[in-house]
Amino acid sequence: MKLSPQAVCITLLATLFNLAHAEVARPNIVLILADDLGFSDIASYGSEIQTPSLDALAANGISFTNYHTAASCAPTRAMLLTGVDSHRNGVPNIPESIPPAHQVHENYRGVLSRDVVTVASLLQNAGYHTYMAGKWHLGKARDELPYRRGFSRTITLADTGADNWEQKPYIPIYEKANWFADGEETTLPEDFYSSEFLIDKTIEFIDSNSDSQPFFAYIPFQAVHIPVQAPKEFTDKYLDTYQQGWTALREQRQKRSKELGIIPANAEMQTMSSTHDWDSLSAEEKRFHAKRMAVYAGMVDAMDHHIGRLVAHLKATGRYDNTIFIFSSDNGSEATGGDNPRSLLNRLGLRIQGYTNDYDTLGSKGSFNTIGPSFASAAASPLAYYKFYAGEGGMRVPLIIAGKPISDKAKRSNAFTFVTDITPTILEFTSTPAPPEFFGGRRIVPMIGRSLAALSRGEVEQVYTESDYIGYELGGNAALFQGPYKIVKNRGPVGDSEWHLFNIVDDPGETNDLREAMPDKLADLLEHYNQYAAENGVLDVPANFNGTTQVAINGIRDRFGKQLLVLLLTSIICGVFYILYRRK
Amino acid sequence: MLKLLRIIVALPAILFLIIGLQWAVDPAAAAESLGMPLLDGLGRSSQIADTGALFIAMGLMILSGLLTGRKTWFYAPALMLFSAAALRLIAWLIHDAAFAPDMIAVEIVVACLLLISSPKLADKQ
Repeated sequence: MKLSPQAVCITLLATLFNLAHAEVARPNIVLILADDLGFSDIASYGSEIQTPSLDALAANGISFTNYHTAASCAPTRAMLLTGVDSHRNGVPNIPESIPPAHQVHENYRGVLSRDVVTVASLLQNAGYHTYMAGKWHLGKARDELPYRRGFSRTITLADTGADNWEQKPYIPIYEKANWFADGEETTLPEDFYSSEFLIDKTIEFIDSNSDSQPFFAYIPFQAVHIPVQAPKEFTDKYLDTYQQGWTALREQRQKRSKELGIIPANAEMQTMSSTHDWDSLSAEEKRFHAKRMAVYAGMVDAMDHHIGRLVAHLKATGRYDNTIFIFSSDNGSEATGGDNPRSLLNRLGLRIQGYTNDYDTLGSKGSFNTIGPSFASAAASPLAYYKFYAGEGGMRVPLIIAGKPISDKAKRSNAFTFVTDITPTILEFTSTPAPPEFFGGRRIVPMIGRSLAALSRGEVEQVYTESDYIGYELGGNAALFQGPYKIVKNRGPVGDSEWHLFNIVDDPGETNDLREAMPDKLADLLEHYNQYAAENGVLDVPANFNGTTQVAINGIRDRFGKQLLVLLLTSIICGVFYILYRRK
Repeated sequence: MLKLLRIIVALPAILFLIIGLQWAVDPAAAAESLGMPLLDGLGRSSQIADTGALFIAMGLMILSGLLTGRKTWFYAPALMLFSAAALRLIAWLIHDAAFAPDMIAVEIVVACLLLISSPKLADKQ
């Protein structure tokens, strides 16, 4: 067949048009990750905190009520971005908490392994603009930063957390807050507030490219990690909200969760041993604790407000209709800080770091706020435990997948889903192939997650079947999920280090231990957990392992180790001279 | 009184040891504390070896003086400190280096302390 020049031109133009159309059709992806946000901390999951932006997303998408992450930050982030189990992607725990005996193992460095590929790298290869604004915590050396892991524009905090008002470390294991812009150390502006700044940078990145290429924006907020800080106008909205205390709040959220259908109407709830008696507090103490939680609510509210600004910007610039939003948290609510933050010792420690926790300025610049275990349990209502623990309160968090390409009405899924599912989901949404066996010249650890795209579209009810077993371990706290069942082991100080069996669909509060009633099921799940641990190189933690203590030890070693060695050597030399002098 | 004098003399010795050992353990921090960058290659070798040796040797000599009661042990570190102070002045006057009055003052004070106290410490042995 012989084609005329005109026909060739028309064919070429049509092909180019189709290619261009295909590019336009690929959706933008906005992946928003809150930090330490509890299961019921947003309104559509039962919270009293006002989150209209997230509610609007939930109204145009699917809310997952049985979604699980790791119970601590970095392992979740590593699994989220790779779809690979934390014990195979190099981040089985936060690096600050890995015992020295484990650090000699390749996958226990707490740094994202080069044997895994991030969703950002895959999308970048597929022609996406890739942006990140927020906390990374997967390595702080130059070649470990997100700029070298698939993100073309970045403003990122390398540490576990930092102050929300200024460039200042929040715990003394850091000499400074390590912020980087496009791979280089950077300083924060004078008018910095974390949630506002991260959205400003995201908008700046998005607007910096006016071509037709879609974008992937990853926004891991600092909110609501400690120090819990919020602008006064947001905090003030909640000053009267928490006067009834944590027990009343936990019950109130449980009731609301049932009304919303987030949990079964007959689900029970347990009171954690770490929850103090609100009624035993003095009026002054109650006032102070209520303010702590008000600042927390203000911080969630402020984050939502700034998410709303991003959504509004995308609408104003015509990008909204082609954008998929994924919102979640890295783990459950954070209990650090105790229920006596005004003790002399606490205040002295804060003062040394340049912080105060006075009532009047709580949440403002220069203040250090936490919510402690009692309000953390309320933030995880109606679930048991909280961050670091393998109880549902540490692992089950909100997940919303939304946007015009997903749905124009609110949907809900009670299907079991896991953090490793996010990368495969994004790849399917963007028609991006999964990573091949080799990537960048290295053999790549394959993803284990399942795409939630079909689930999001309502085409299937489940992505995991009864024959699927999903294992999990972090710092000796462990779990295995199968169908509606879960075995779980929590170490101290709150847990008992024993395995328990629950049906987390009927009993998300983990109140009815089935290990006596279903010994065969327990044995089967234990066998599969041991298989998971062996296949993934899970190391047993030392018998006396305590995550908080290990952070302190590692922090002192990393920050002051050399100075201590110098002092030790000086002491030895001086000691020898002194002994000789005394003998003389 | 003599005990107090020994303690006063021992303090700069310990300080010198700390600075010298810091060159062995954490040279970047040691260099920064003296207002210099950590060099590469042979420069780094000289920085660590020569500067570290200077401080460690001064510290050990002062401690040896305290141990043996021989006043000659104090002369060498005093001479080194006087030399350092003189060279700082030359560096400032001739070679465009920054003027470092604090460091010069410390070096002269410690050198004088060693020279003045050495006969007293030796006499009592």
